[in-house]
Amino acid sequence: MLELNAVHAHYGKVHVLQGASLEVKSGEAVALLGRNGVGKTTALKTIMGLVPATGGEIVFDGRGLTDMPPHAIPRSGIGYVPQGRGIFPSLSVKENLEIGLTKAPPSQVFDYVYDRFPRLKERLRQPGGTLSGGEQQMLAIARCLVMQPSLLILDEPTEGIMPILVQDIRREIKAVNDAGVSILLVEQNIKTALRLCSRIYIMEKGTVVHEAAAEDLKEDKETLHRYLGVAV
Amino acid sequence: MELVIALGMNGIVWGLIIALIALGLSIIFGLLDIINIAHGDFFMVGTVMAWFVFETTGNYWLAFAIVPVLGFALGALIEYTVIQPIKNAAALSIVATFGLSIILQEGVRATYGAAPTRLTAPIEGTLPLFGLEYEIYRLFAALVSIAAIGCFFLFLHRTKLGTWMRAVRFDPETATAMGIPARRVYLVTFAIGFAMAALGGVVAGPITTVDFQAGVDVLPFCFMAVIIGGLGNMGGTVAAAVMLAFFEGVMASFTDPTMARIGSLCLMSLVLMVRPHGIFSGATR
Repeated sequence: MLELNAVHAHYGKVHVLQGASLEVKSGEAVALLGRNGVGKTTALKTIMGLVPATGGEIVFDGRGLTDMPPHAIPRSGIGYVPQGRGIFPSLSVKENLEIGLTKAPPSQVFDYVYDRFPRLKERLRQPGGTLSGGEQQMLAIARCLVMQPSLLILDEPTEGIMPILVQDIRREIKAVNDAGVSILLVEQNIKTALRLCSRIYIMEKGTVVHEAAAEDLKEDKETLHRYLGVAV
Repeated sequence: MELVIALGMNGIVWGLIIALIALGLSIIFGLLDIINIAHGDFFMVGTVMAWFVFETTGNYWLAFAIVPVLGFALGALIEYTVIQPIKNAAALSIVATFGLSIILQEGVRATYGAAPTRLTAPIEGTLPLFGLEYEIYRLFAALVSIAAIGCFFLFLHRTKLGTWMRAVRFDPETATAMGIPARRVYLVTFAIGFAMAALGGVVAGPITTVDFQAGVDVLPFCFMAVIIGGLGNMGGTVAAAVMLAFFEGVMASFTDPTMARIGSLCLMSLVLMVRPHGIFSGATR
């Protein structure tokens, strides 16, 4: 479904992505882990066309993404929940929710979204900036879902969220995946990644250095320690 | 006393026209980070185009329909050729739009000429108001400005494109990731900014003179309105423009226009000393 082959990307003269390769299969949930500054967020931004790829290829559903204008990428079926959620604070919840729509989706799409996120339905007229962190995260996920993506990319969805709400967000991501949407997740919270995803990629210095099934990685204390500096 | 009322009212009318022009300046600055030194000349080009429409058709009303459309097209062209290549370079934008300002002024001087002309208002006659006979056209100019400002706010808050403009202004990257064609939004924003200044030119044409340097006086006034209103605060810009122009109008009835301008600059300094981010900063945007 999504394939990155030896992708390179630069921020000015800094060579951030140095030939990263990974794959997300249809219906699969995959996590991309690594320490701070190894290029995880850049990898996601490069997929979305927000950082131009300077080498390699990115293929989604048989189509090359690197030549596509960035605004066409979300319309091709990839939903993106950026780090820090990216809610427009002065736009109402409803405006935030419908921001990516150019035509009205089938009514059951909104029924589904409101059913999953009843708090948003109660707050449609409120400015997005007045929502709590957890609610903003729900909104960021919901506004992707109304565009009916086949792949949802999430950049640290539990970062800065009250611990009590982390569970809720995990549950929603799981529900999205169960509904058939593939997931590519970047996380600092390794527990969240191991719980939600079946396959894990680990990045270091701009490239993917390790790939493992989540089940195996849980037991692989040495790898966890070497690349992530943690004991789980 | 009659003079005070008359100049005060003239000030309010002029303030509303300035508000219309300054809103264009404000969205261009807010969305594209462009400090548009040529914005006063967009207004001037509007007055010249209005004069041209009147000269060729003999009907000033047509200018109200045609000139904003021409302004929009010209704005789109300028965004594409001048602004897009220097995107993300605020300092360059000053140089580039300053150059643009010279080109527009000299272009008008070379074609239209250097001699200022007065246009006759399409509505003549006066109306008794507050004990004086007030020109009907000036009231009409105020109404058109209010209607245009109202339409602009409706557009910004009630249409998809308006919502996109507000989203891109806050976070162009996330907006793009939501499928918004940010580059096209920039182009349309700049074009709307030009169209609003040009409409201001049509409205103001019969009040002021058609002159290739007309924009030179309008530009600082627009900047003052945008700054006093609180950068990026559209409602504040409108209020500040009307207040400043009213203040200058009343001042001008006691002294000469130059002293009145000095007075309003002092007022601006005073406001900024007390509220460095403008009178209406912190209000909802």
